[in-house]
Amino acid sequence: MASIEVRNVRKNFGIVSVLHGVDLSIANGEFVVLVGPSGCGKSTLLRMIAGLEEVTEGEIRIDGMRVNERAPKDRDIAMVFQSYALYPHMNVAENMSYGLRIRKAAREKITAAVSNAARKLELQPLLARRPKALSGGQRQRVAMGRAIVRQPKAFLFDEPLSNLDARLREQMRAEIKKLHRDLGATSIYVTHDQIEAMTLADRIVAMHEGVVQQVGSPLELYDRPANLFVAGFIGSPAMNFLSARYEVGAGTAGARLPDGTLIGLSSGYQLEEGAAVTLGIRPEHVEMSPASESSLRATVDLIEPTGFGIILHLGLHGLPFNVFTLDRAALTAGPTVTVAFPPQHLHLFDETGKRALESSLQKGKG
Amino acid sequence: MVFDATAGFPESRRRSLVDRITRHAEPYLYTAPALILIVTIMLAPLVLGLSYAFRDVHLLNPFSGGYVGLDHFRTLYEDDNFYRALRNTLWWTGASVLLQFVFGLILALLLDRPFAGRAIAQALVFLPWAVPTFLTGLNWAWLFNPVIGPLPHWLYGLGLMSEPTNILSNPQLAMWGPIIANVWWGIPFFAITLLAALQAIPRDLYEAAAIDGAGAFRRFTSITLPFLAPTIAITVLLRTVWISNFADLIIVMTSGGPADRTQIVASYIFTQAFRALDFGYASAIALVLLVLLLAYSMLIVMLRQVLMDRA
Repeated sequence: MASIEVRNVRKNFGIVSVLHGVDLSIANGEFVVLVGPSGCGKSTLLRMIAGLEEVTEGEIRIDGMRVNERAPKDRDIAMVFQSYALYPHMNVAENMSYGLRIRKAAREKITAAVSNAARKLELQPLLARRPKALSGGQRQRVAMGRAIVRQPKAFLFDEPLSNLDARLREQMRAEIKKLHRDLGATSIYVTHDQIEAMTLADRIVAMHEGVVQQVGSPLELYDRPANLFVAGFIGSPAMNFLSARYEVGAGTAGARLPDGTLIGLSSGYQLEEGAAVTLGIRPEHVEMSPASESSLRATVDLIEPTGFGIILHLGLHGLPFNVFTLDRAALTAGPTVTVAFPPQHLHLFDETGKRALESSLQKGKG
Repeated sequence: MVFDATAGFPESRRRSLVDRITRHAEPYLYTAPALILIVTIMLAPLVLGLSYAFRDVHLLNPFSGGYVGLDHFRTLYEDDNFYRALRNTLWWTGASVLLQFVFGLILALLLDRPFAGRAIAQALVFLPWAVPTFLTGLNWAWLFNPVIGPLPHWLYGLGLMSEPTNILSNPQLAMWGPIIANVWWGIPFFAITLLAALQAIPRDLYEAAAIDGAGAFRRFTSITLPFLAPTIAITVLLRTVWISNFADLIIVMTSGGPADRTQIVASYIFTQAFRALDFGYASAIALVLLVLLLAYSMLIVMLRQVLMDRA
C-alpha cells in the first residue's frame, strides 16, 4: 500500500491537450474516485498513473518515488479494466496467478494467494473454467481477483462496472466497497457514473475538460458544489438552474428572477448589488406549495413515477425544471403547480459559474 | 351442398396427387441450379480427369484411350523420378511455407505498430501478391542470371559464392532459386492474414499483461501466439496445399532441371502431361497427390479443431 502524488501533470496527444495541469494527492489506503463526463481526461490520468500513457509534463509519485520513467510492471500497481481484459486461453486460476508466475513466486505462495483471493471473491468453484464460460459478473470478479493476488501498492479501476447490467452493478459496487474495507488498499476508481462515485469514494475528484473541478467528500460535493459543472453533474435528477439578479436589502438578501419574483436567500453573499447570478436548486429540495408571493407557477409537462418517488418535468417560464417528490398526490398534478424554494437549499453561482461566497447580512444597504 | 362435395371429391384427389409430386420435387427443384452447376463445372471434369488415370491416354496417339486398370499405378510404384519429385515436393513446400510464414509474421508484427507512412508501407508490402507468378518467375530467373542479373555478383562480393555463377544451373542449389522467388511472392499472403488476426487482439490484454509484469517477449508468447494459433493453422494448411500444387515458378525458372533436381510432383505431372503428352500417367500421379493432400488436410483440420476447443 502506498500514497500517490500527482503534481501538475499535463498530457498532450499531438497538438491536442487533454489534461491541463492536474494536482492530486491520495493518502495511503484512501479510496478516490475520478468522475466526469466522457472525454474529461479521467481515464487518461488513471492510465498515466498505471504507466500505460506517457506523462507529457509534471510528475507522478507512488510511495514517494518518482515513477514517470518506470514501466507499468515496475510500479507495483494492479488495474481492473472495463473489458476485464482476462486472458481467454487461460483458466481462472491461471488468469489470477499470471502476475505471480511471471515474477517467479514460489509455487506454494501462488497457490495460497489464489485460493485466498478465490475465497474472498467466491470463485473457488470456477477456478478451472475459462473466461468464456463465465458470466459478466463472474468475469468481473476474476478481474478483481487477478488484481488482489499480487497485493500491489495500489488498485486502479477503469470503469470496471460499466459492462454489467444495473442489478449486478449495484451488487459489485457493494462488493468493491467491502473489499476495500477488508484490504484497506489505496484505490483510484474511474467512472462516469456519479452514483458509483458517491457511494464508493472517500474522496471524489470531479473532472471536466482536463481540469479538476472540485475535490472533496461525496457529501461536500453534493451539499456545496464548487461550480456550475459540479452542481449539474453530481445528483440525479440534475440540479435546476435559474438566472437571476442578486439583491440585498435591510437584513435580507434575495435573487430576483426575470419575471420579478424575489426568491429569499438564507444569507448574504460577497456579490455586488444587481450582479447576474445563477440560482441552483436540487429537484428533491423544491417544495410543492400553495401559492404565495415567493412561489412560482409552473406548467406540468411530464410525470415520471419511479416507484420510490415521482419526477415532475415542469416548464418554468418556458424553461425545463424538475421536481422530485415522494408525495404520490403529485401523480395527479396539473396542468399547473406552484413551487417554492426553501432558502437553506439554494445554491448561488456568480457570473463565472463559481459558487458565490456567503457573507453576513448587514443592517441596511451594504 | 352434398352434391357439390361429392362432385368435388375426385377433382381434389387428382389435385392432391399433383400436389404430392410437386411437394416431393420442391426441394430438388430449389437446389437444382446449384447442383447442376457443381456437377457440370466441378464434378464432371474431376471424374473425367480421374478416369484418365485408369486409361491409356496419349495425346498424339489416336488409338489410345483404352482401359488399362491399375497399370499406371504399378509403373508409378517403381518410378524413381516420382519418388525424387515427392522428396523435392516436401523440401520445396516445407522451406517455402516456413520462410513465408516467418517473414510474413515478422512483417505483420512490424506493420501492426503505428508509424509514419504505415499506409504506404502496407500497400507496398502487399504488392508482390499482385505480380503474376509467370512474371515473378522470369524476373527472379533473370536476377539469378550472372549475365544480366546482379544477385550472383552480390553474393560473390559478399564472399558467399566462390564465383558469380547461376544457382539455377547448380544441382546442389537450384531448388533455392524457385524457393526464394516463391517466398518473395508469398510473404504478403501471410502478412495480410496475420496482420488482420493481430489487429483483432484486444489491446487491453497487452496492457493488463504489461501491468502484470510481462515483458515484450512474454507478452508475445502468452498473448499474441495463442491468439494467432487458429489463423496460423489454417493459413499454413492452405499455403501448404497451394504450394505443393504450385508448379508455375519451377516450370518458368528451371523446368524441373538441372537433372530433375527441382522437379516436384506438380511439375512432374505438368511435364508428363504437356511434354511427354502422357495424360493417363499424369492423371495417375495427380490422383496420388490428391490423396496425399487430402490426408494432410484432414490432419490439419483436426489439429485446428483441437486448438479452437482449447481457446
